[in-house]
Amino acid sequence: MKFLANLLDKARPKFEDGGAFRPMKPLFDAIDAFMFNPLSQAKLAPHARDPLDVKRYMSMVIIALLPATFAAFYFYGWRMLPVIMVSYMAGGAVEVLFAVIRKEEINEGFLVTGLLFPLILPPGLPLWMVAVGVIFGVLVGKEIFGGTGRNLFNPALVGRCFLLLSYGGPMGGAWIEPGGGLFGRLFEYKSVAVDAVSQATPLAQAAAETPVITPLGDLFFGNVLGCAGETSALALILGGVLLLLFRVASWRTIGSTLIAFGLMTALLVGGDINTVLFHYLAGGLLLGTFFMATDPVSGPSTNGGKFVYGALIGVATALIRLKTPLVEGMMFAILTGNMFAPIIDEVFIALHVRRLQNEK
Amino acid sequence: MKPRGGYNVNPIGGPSLDIEKLAPPKMLCIPLSSKHLTFSELSVADGDTVTCGQTLAVDPESFSVPLIASCGGVVSLTKLDGHIVIENLSCPSDPAPTPEVPLHAPYDAGHAAENRQKLLELGAWRFVSNARTHKVADPEGKPSAVIVSIVHLEPFVAHGGAICKDKVDELVRGMEHLQSLLEYQTIHLVMPDVKNALAQKIQETIRGHAWLKLSEVPLQMRYPFDNQTLLARHLGLFDKGGETVWYIPAAGVLAFDNALSYGQPTTTSRISLAGPVVKEPKHLEVKIGHPIADILDGRLNRDQDVRVINGGILTGVQIPAEQTGVGVECSGITVLETPTVREMFGWLRPGADRRSFSKCFLSALKGTFKENLSTSLRGEGRPCVSCGHCVEVCPAGIMPNLIHKYLFSDELELAQKLRTDLCVECGLCSYVCLSKIDLYDQMARAKVQIAEELGQPEDQQVTEEPETEVLV
Repeated sequence: MKFLANLLDKARPKFEDGGAFRPMKPLFDAIDAFMFNPLSQAKLAPHARDPLDVKRYMSMVIIALLPATFAAFYFYGWRMLPVIMVSYMAGGAVEVLFAVIRKEEINEGFLVTGLLFPLILPPGLPLWMVAVGVIFGVLVGKEIFGGTGRNLFNPALVGRCFLLLSYGGPMGGAWIEPGGGLFGRLFEYKSVAVDAVSQATPLAQAAAETPVITPLGDLFFGNVLGCAGETSALALILGGVLLLLFRVASWRTIGSTLIAFGLMTALLVGGDINTVLFHYLAGGLLLGTFFMATDPVSGPSTNGGKFVYGALIGVATALIRLKTPLVEGMMFAILTGNMFAPIIDEVFIALHVRRLQNEK
Repeated sequence: MKPRGGYNVNPIGGPSLDIEKLAPPKMLCIPLSSKHLTFSELSVADGDTVTCGQTLAVDPESFSVPLIASCGGVVSLTKLDGHIVIENLSCPSDPAPTPEVPLHAPYDAGHAAENRQKLLELGAWRFVSNARTHKVADPEGKPSAVIVSIVHLEPFVAHGGAICKDKVDELVRGMEHLQSLLEYQTIHLVMPDVKNALAQKIQETIRGHAWLKLSEVPLQMRYPFDNQTLLARHLGLFDKGGETVWYIPAAGVLAFDNALSYGQPTTTSRISLAGPVVKEPKHLEVKIGHPIADILDGRLNRDQDVRVINGGILTGVQIPAEQTGVGVECSGITVLETPTVREMFGWLRPGADRRSFSKCFLSALKGTFKENLSTSLRGEGRPCVSCGHCVEVCPAGIMPNLIHKYLFSDELELAQKLRTDLCVECGLCSYVCLSKIDLYDQMARAKVQIAEELGQPEDQQVTEEPETEVLV
């Protein structure tokens, strides 16, 4: 390990001011800090700091995403590997490019977007589309607003929205028949041209003229058609519980989204408990609730606001699913929520200010 | 108002209650300024010979609180910038035996004004602060209540138990003197856990007092609930708005007793010496001005790569240890290691030994334990990700993350609206920030900037109201 440290030490001057690779300093710093803890000191009081940093915080989200990622490999084969790699490389290139232009550090927030993005796409989508989507998402969804921490919308959802509106055909049809058995499709590589099927997903089947309701057991386990990471409710719930235990995701957002969605769906379907359960487990509701709505940057920062924000997303999802021609509403609901987050915050900040007014 | 937020940091290396009395040093380096005091008006000239207890300088901004020579000797003003150095010390090797004084001080409200003057002259008044501004209180003022606290919760600062060790009688007598200075105002005594041995002894000693009514207000022992402003808010002492509340720490009450029972100035101070690199973290009884390098000599595990801090981990100030002495406001010396070895894949480790406010480390499964802290930032600066940790820990109930954003975009009015002035500067927001933003520093600066540029209407009322009442 000493060898690696020496290697980095030797290369460092080339990336400092006056070195040949000065523009690539953000990339070098990112790799350097990834390998070894930086020696940065607390310059001002407090003289010691909590061990949590952004890297760790973001890696907790990745850990929570692992069950869903594994489920994607199990059901749709290791085609997921190139998909994830393309997502990381194309999106990472944009991130590095902007860090270099802005002379700022590379942000760890991208590590989450890079993994989340493939999981909300149909597993049979051509790789170039994955690249186009993630580039658009990172560029328009995040970088033009100033990078991680300043974005208005969830970058992964911006990318997906762009793909859906531009390439509606593949986005609605590049599904892969899920594998089963002990190993699923863990040892298979499904190629797009041959294996993609364009049948209807459970939500589409339920919304068809002659509705077919997929068994709840299949939805829970995940052997249905759908986006790579959204089908297995089991894996997602596991990840969601982890996020709540790590206290990375806000229970306020998750709770209010799930409750509002359940109530609204029950209202619209006339209280049929099976249909409500079906809607909980089908589509991207759980993935969106646990991993997208809880994004602290694009959601509101006030605690009260999180309840309203979650409720807005839950209600909007139910309305889009049941009252519009669209069968899936999670993406648009969260983007709508993102749009309203600043104004929701505004209201709750005003309340906060009023409460503090009497504080002496 | 119920206390909110707060968090106990719990590091390895806290001081034990043992007290070591240090022999007088070869010379004293008395700093002319500290957190709240600046002794800018000198009363001595270079080369003067002073006696123990003589006034060296006063702080004209703080009711002319004096800086007292803690030992006789020859003054040098040029030797060390910003300090009064006293050399050729003539400290008596064994101090004169203290005269016998009665165990209890008689109630003496008739001489309140004289006694306040005496306290001021003997340097004991500097301990009395306005609980809202933390500045020295007006010796002629009339508080609405007084808080006496022997609780100090910041990690590594001198423990209340050590300050009062073997001095319970003096503490109670000091409070009796304090009672004589007041009219009918309540004295609130803040003690740790009432079952604690020290607290029990204090209770036993004061139970016989007719003027004393004991009532218990529970308070969680969580940092920074010992903060004077928070205590006053917690006890509802600011409820009507313009009240002046006095705060006196245990050391101050002991200085009162010294001044009024014996007529002596307090020239020594019980401070802590703590930190993971200190061989034997404990309390020290030192002369004000004792050179810090002298104190640290031989008491550390390592000489290099350490940071010496005047005060505790969270709000202390880094000091050039080679060049200064123990100041009047010094409550402890903290020594932390500055790490020099880079850990590989540190952020990936399970972290059973890393205690975090968050639940992102394996340590979340363990109970409370003490953690080894250094000056490492433990991460890199990043933009705020709105995780909300600072809002959760903030004891004042404000939103540091939001104020940070407003300050970033130069919206001072909005920062004022969000009540930046309520910040008690405990440092917890900076401590927990995962983006490693120096929120503490930003809040402290913003408070000053807001007061200067926008003015604080509430504060003006605070100074005006009680005075008109006194006149009527």
